[in-house]
Amino acid sequence: MKHVKSLVTRNLKESMKKGGCGECQTSCQSACKTSCTVGNQSCEQLSK
Amino acid sequence: MVHAYKNNGYNIVLDVNSGSVHVVDDVVFDLVKVVEDKLAGKYGTAAGKEEDNNKSADSSWLFEELNASSELSAYSKEDIREGIDELLDLREAQVLYTDDVYENYVEDFQNRDTVVKALCLNIAHDCNLRCKYCFADEGEYHGRRALMSEEVGKAALDFLVKNSGSRRNLEVDFFGGEPLLNWEVVKKIVEYGRSIEKEHDKNFRFTITTNGTLLNDEILEYVNKEMGNIVLSIDGRKEVNDAMRPKRGGQGCYDEIVPKFQKVAESRHQLRYFVRGTFTHNNLDFSEDVKHLADLGFKQISVEPVVAKPEDWYALKDEDIPKLCEEYDKLAKFYLERKKEGRGFNFFHFNIDLEGGPCVAKRLSGCGSGCEYLGVTPWGDLYPCHQFVGNEDFIMGNVYDGITRNDIREMFKCSNVYSRPECQECFARYYCSGGCAANAYNFNGDINTTYKHGCELQRKRIECAIMIKAALAEEEG
Repeated sequence: MKHVKSLVTRNLKESMKKGGCGECQTSCQSACKTSCTVGNQSCEQLSK
Repeated sequence: MVHAYKNNGYNIVLDVNSGSVHVVDDVVFDLVKVVEDKLAGKYGTAAGKEEDNNKSADSSWLFEELNASSELSAYSKEDIREGIDELLDLREAQVLYTDDVYENYVEDFQNRDTVVKALCLNIAHDCNLRCKYCFADEGEYHGRRALMSEEVGKAALDFLVKNSGSRRNLEVDFFGGEPLLNWEVVKKIVEYGRSIEKEHDKNFRFTITTNGTLLNDEILEYVNKEMGNIVLSIDGRKEVNDAMRPKRGGQGCYDEIVPKFQKVAESRHQLRYFVRGTFTHNNLDFSEDVKHLADLGFKQISVEPVVAKPEDWYALKDEDIPKLCEEYDKLAKFYLERKKEGRGFNFFHFNIDLEGGPCVAKRLSGCGSGCEYLGVTPWGDLYPCHQFVGNEDFIMGNVYDGITRNDIREMFKCSNVYSRPECQECFARYYCSGGCAANAYNFNGDINTTYKHGCELQRKRIECAIMIKAALAEEEG
């Protein structure tokens, strides 16, 4: 494309198919303790 | 839903529902929202129904309608036509103008039987610092001073194992107050956890949060052996830190903790730790504190807005928000500069995993507090999370009898992005999961609401984080 450059992203709709295993970390356990941030977490399935 | 914004010279288009990110030139940036409105006007939603999609026909009528638009007069006909065609290509590939198709899916997901997978053990309701913004009431959580006993700690792990179903990885954070005031019990609990892992096919991931004043070599060696993460509390510059984090006698703790924290960071090879600070109304220029921490050699940094009652003297105010947003922009530029120089660091709130991030079920179903994640007091009471400890309306049971207030668990389980009206129009909802229930409760008395300041800053952080990804992708070519 001439006008658009797309970044590589995980398609959220596709993630419905194999998602929802619940193995991921709880959201505010790791560093913050005051803010719920899930965008920066990694999927346990994909990181295996 | 599309969120288009400019940041640090980049035109960024986020397709909210698919999570796709596009870096676009000016003509497409000026077209993307107009085309979205036109398509939605014709088809009901910009995605339209598949049978209605006819790229060639859509391209023609969109061009007819937009070609003469005064807002696009700066661009040639060819650019406008190409821009429209590229947007329609992205729509066809379902990476732009996608619909929100998740509401029923997430409700089904939330109706599943949940397991408990993480505990925050308030191992010490006591502290040797007198931090002025402490939500834990200087360690006491509006109750009495207390240290968790070995017996309660072991019972907490038993409760976790028993309620974790087939989930293998179990997270346990030692929190306080100051956990090192009860260090011998921390070790006993870790040892107990290790002793029962095999028979139950579990893996405990222990973490600890500390102000660092009591850290010594022996403790560090143990932490490095057993703890998956250590969170080290420091606010940044000496004057900022010492103003808010004094010892009981009033003197600051900066000089005492910095060398210890540097040692921790190096001994863990600059991984699996965070230096974590809080900014308040008194240091709105918090990017300077992050820079300071980076200059001290720390590579894992998290500095966050204070959570305070509006009447608190250090609370963030409405008029502080624009300045704080500017600070995030400054910080994002600094972050990129340092990365380019080969001296990069991680800033927790700029970490965003676009390729390998969580599935949509996780993104929409909230943080897990009150069902998957619970806080435990020194005497074994269970709360929805550490932030609720001390508010007795939220006691959910205890580590011996388990959860006895299923109504509280259900309330938290059903709290998600779709239960918060304000989230419906927000582009950030797949990144914050609806925000912090405790913040919402503290500000509005209802966990199914949002905390305005937190949301505004969260949106800004996500914009910066995505811009950083765009800049790094450009560099990689």
